[in-house]
Amino acid sequence: MREARTESPGGAATLPRQGSSKPPPLLLRAGTNAAVALCLATALVHVLLVFLHVAPPNPLSRQYSRQVNAWVFPLFEQNWRLFAPDPESVNRQISARTLHTAPDGTVHVIGWFDLSGVDNSAVRHDVFPSHTAQNTLRRAWSSYLETHGGDDRPRSERALMMQKYLTDIAADRITGHRGGTFESASCG
Amino acid sequence: METEQALVPHRGVPRTPDGADAGPPRPGPERVGAFLAVLTERPVSLYAAAVLRIGYGFLYLVFLLREFPHRDEIWGPGSPWTPELARQLFDQTGWAGILTLSDSRPYFETCYALALVTSALFMLGWRTRAVSVLFAVVVASFHTRAIFMTDGGDNLILLMALYLTLTACGRRWSLDARRTRRRASAGKGESGSTDSGADDLRHQLATSRRTLTAVLHNCGMFVIAAQVCFLYGSAGLYKVQGGSWGNGTALHYVLNLDLFRPWPELSLLADEHDVLIAVACYLTVLVQVAFPFVLFGRLKYPVLTVLLGMHLGIAVLMGLPLFSGAMIIADAAFLPDRFYRSLGRLRQRTGAEETGAPSHGERALVPPQSAPAGRGSSAG
Repeated sequence: MREARTESPGGAATLPRQGSSKPPPLLLRAGTNAAVALCLATALVHVLLVFLHVAPPNPLSRQYSRQVNAWVFPLFEQNWRLFAPDPESVNRQISARTLHTAPDGTVHVIGWFDLSGVDNSAVRHDVFPSHTAQNTLRRAWSSYLETHGGDDRPRSERALMMQKYLTDIAADRITGHRGGTFESASCG
Repeated sequence: METEQALVPHRGVPRTPDGADAGPPRPGPERVGAFLAVLTERPVSLYAAAVLRIGYGFLYLVFLLREFPHRDEIWGPGSPWTPELARQLFDQTGWAGILTLSDSRPYFETCYALALVTSALFMLGWRTRAVSVLFAVVVASFHTRAIFMTDGGDNLILLMALYLTLTACGRRWSLDARRTRRRASAGKGESGSTDSGADDLRHQLATSRRTLTAVLHNCGMFVIAAQVCFLYGSAGLYKVQGGSWGNGTALHYVLNLDLFRPWPELSLLADEHDVLIAVACYLTVLVQVAFPFVLFGRLKYPVLTVLLGMHLGIAVLMGLPLFSGAMIIADAAFLPDRFYRSLGRLRQRTGAEETGAPSHGERALVPPQSAPAGRGSSAG
């Protein structure tokens, strides 16, 4: 308590506290008070909107979803569904294969390559696994599933973006690990 | 009751700035007055703010260094999430960042170096206010550039980086604090002005500025506290909805996920103890849901200890040191200043004994690295 008042010698705090004999000008005082009120109001509104954003959908958050989204996105977006409601009960194995058209026009399909295996072996016995192993493929795949319906058809621009992203990841990994030339890659 | 002063200025018993306890029930207006006095005059939890600054600066620095070999793959022009895809997403969502401004390799490397330097300076508390804004810009840019490679830890670091720009997190355990202390001891006061009229105005402006800094800081710390409560509260509530957390098997599944099992032998060993797993499941949900409610009493210390243990376990068993580190630092915000002051004194005493250096008095600089050292080891 005491130290809060004696702290930070130098700078603004070295000025004598009650240094001025005259009361501050009205304008300055009003401006300061307005700024204080604005800070408080913003903090409270922010906390309320973030609450509506993280809470499970409810009548209030549905009613104000437009305001909530306008405030929260993009900077304050958050999702704390950590292994919830239930953790995944299976280990996904994602593989990719490539297609190569030879100069004579014949098409070769080159066998499946285990993309997940690369991640699993990268994580094993690493004290600080890289995001490239733990997150890249896992999140690309789940975003792909989210944007594609059950029939695996892209329905939005975002879906096409995720498709491109996933094939890029597959292509990079196959080039890095197996090598060879190919023109297209597909995942499964 | 003294725990209330730790963080949330809005709740609990406000204290008057002169240190007198607000004490037994008072009439309403007086209480509001005392609350406003704290809000506008006393930046609360300055040490906790410093711990957040040091912690997140250090964590981001370690993260950037760890991902150095993968930097191009995550944020660079060679990433599978190509600069075009990132820009396309930015167009859709209205995001922005410094990394998509150019696709050239040298530009990216410059940004990376800038991020490293910014994190280090933020940790050390050099020109903190300006650097904190730069740090927030860097973290936001790196986060949005690789949005599909982020996890909960990155998300929390981004939020904290944004909130910390509001706080006076450079007042303690920082290079700024050392500079002001040196300047003060050198006796460069504000004396020697001649014009009393201008002097008056300057004082008034300084008072205004001090008020606004305090309010901004207190609001920032309140938002940080609320944010962490929401995090735990919603994490707990979502778990309650799942059957596996209810029947105590969720951690069994978690322990068998290949991506979060860097030490399979250890995970298997833990997985063999059914009862232990079930107890840990219930404890996790219980502690997370209870978190917002225990902060205003002494119960918060055992809960914070359980959370510390939980996050250390997550860091090692699941290979998520970045996430765990971010959570541990967030938890540390709830420890009261007197805890950190005694920590600083302890550190200083042992430091003085080791080096034989003269003591600088109560608030002599504690090397900025001291606080996160323990935390850092959990993140490394």
